[in-house]
Amino acid sequence: MARTLMRFTGVGGQGVLLAGEIFAAAKIKTGGNGLKTATYTSQVRGGPTVVDITLDDDEIYYPYANDGEINFMLSVAQVSYDQFKKGVQEGGTIVVDPNLVKPSEEDTKKWNIIEIPIITIAKEEVGNVITQSVVALAIANTIMKPLDREVLIETMLSKVPAKVHDVNKKAYDLGEKYAKEATSK
Amino acid sequence: MATREVISSGNELSALAARDAGCKFFGGYPITPSSEIMHEMSDLMPEVGGACIQMEDEIAGVAAAIGAGMSGVRTMTATSGPGISLKAENLGLAQMTEVPLVVVNVMRGGPSTGLPTRVSQGDVAQAKNPSHGDYKSITVCAGSLAECYTETVRAFNLADRFMQPVFVLLDETLGHMHGKAVLPTEEEVAAGIVPRKVFEGPAEEYFPYQCEHDQPAVLNPMFKGYRYHFTGLHHDRRGFPTEEIETCRKLIQRLEDKVELHKDEIESNEEFFLDDAEIMIVAYGSVSLAAKEAIRHLRADGIKAGLFRPITLWPSPQDRMRELAARIPKVLCVELNIGQYRDEVQRATGRLDINGLFKVNGRPISPYEIVNKVKEL
Repeated sequence: MARTLMRFTGVGGQGVLLAGEIFAAAKIKTGGNGLKTATYTSQVRGGPTVVDITLDDDEIYYPYANDGEINFMLSVAQVSYDQFKKGVQEGGTIVVDPNLVKPSEEDTKKWNIIEIPIITIAKEEVGNVITQSVVALAIANTIMKPLDREVLIETMLSKVPAKVHDVNKKAYDLGEKYAKEATSK
Repeated sequence: MATREVISSGNELSALAARDAGCKFFGGYPITPSSEIMHEMSDLMPEVGGACIQMEDEIAGVAAAIGAGMSGVRTMTATSGPGISLKAENLGLAQMTEVPLVVVNVMRGGPSTGLPTRVSQGDVAQAKNPSHGDYKSITVCAGSLAECYTETVRAFNLADRFMQPVFVLLDETLGHMHGKAVLPTEEEVAAGIVPRKVFEGPAEEYFPYQCEHDQPAVLNPMFKGYRYHFTGLHHDRRGFPTEEIETCRKLIQRLEDKVELHKDEIESNEEFFLDDAEIMIVAYGSVSLAAKEAIRHLRADGIKAGLFRPITLWPSPQDRMRELAARIPKVLCVELNIGQYRDEVQRATGRLDINGLFKVNGRPISPYEIVNKVKEL
């Protein structure tokens, strides 16, 4: 497999970090290499946060995504979207929550922008806003397909308490469903 | 070597290493980007019958850790640059009293409170001389997730061998990055532990600071019937203050020589594609990861670049650097500071034409920046 670079962005406190750890761990489980790095500000909540995920069969040295090389980005905050979108390669895919991020006309020409109401899905359909990171995880994997979904789900469940397994499985299924719908349009 | 695969972050691996190396005490005060070390230690220490205490501030954190070291156990503190500044006085006390201690510094932007969540290597010069007076720092610097573990283990063994604080430098990138690390097994690490020397003769013949000119003090654990004194003042063979001329001279000379004359036990470095290199990049810590990626690209373009990575920063692997610089025409130091280690490379190699690529805005240096710089040379 060639290198897959994904970037999750939001604001501090939204839990975008966990999705990165799950991706890296799942890739390592399958015998490859995965690295997650996070960049955040000293604001506890509300500061722009970015998580870079590098997946490769070969050894990965430099852990950050180079600007212009990112294949996929997901964003749930305008401030982070604006700051970090330039890292995405031309023609790359960007998933945004349309209630929180408004891409410009220009952006829609440069990138393949997909709108999925991630937070609303987590809050209203799953019933727990914290599951947004799992909804995001499912969307990224459904669109980019870097990993076998079963391995990813199993890894995800190993990182959350048993009592919330069902709600997280539901979040994954919903994310997958919305991603499939959005990409078949 | 028997190995195991662990998925974790650099900070968590450093804490795990401390436990596996037999650490029984952590005293500290959480500070970004090192806090996860303390979080982990608060779980790990009780599991092995040890203790982790959050003190009221950085100064008390290191003071508690030194106290534990005085009592005879393996001990650690972790912090970032601002914390080292506050701990400096007590680090000097540990040098003077010869108390072994591991100090992990996860570097962030400075000076002062700087850039708390951003990466830097601005504490390299500080690690050489955090406190006033003459002594020789032992400072190791991890360059991968696995080394966050293995260098922490090595630091504990060095601390007990040389009876002094040993710095482990990580940086924000390494501390927080999360991925795979192939580590020695716990049994392997346990088998490699060399505890500090202990005097076993009669108590009246015990003089902790009476030792060979190039050897560290022999500090017996407390409460075993061996009485001695700790002081930051120049002291005699039992640890009591003295101004006797020869005793004072010998003491400070010995603090220097116990390290200087045994550098071969401490020095360590990695060489990556240097055999046929025409350009030697010198980089350490997380920057070495960008350098390795850059060397992949440069080699693909037919440019013979290689990496010299000091793992022990202080004392520096100076002889090896000098040998390599004598045959490799171009040398480039890449650092997240303004040449703090380039000064050492210049000193060690005797060359003043060492190039530099430096960054101090809290952002990492990318492989492409290194590639472009090398092509300019």
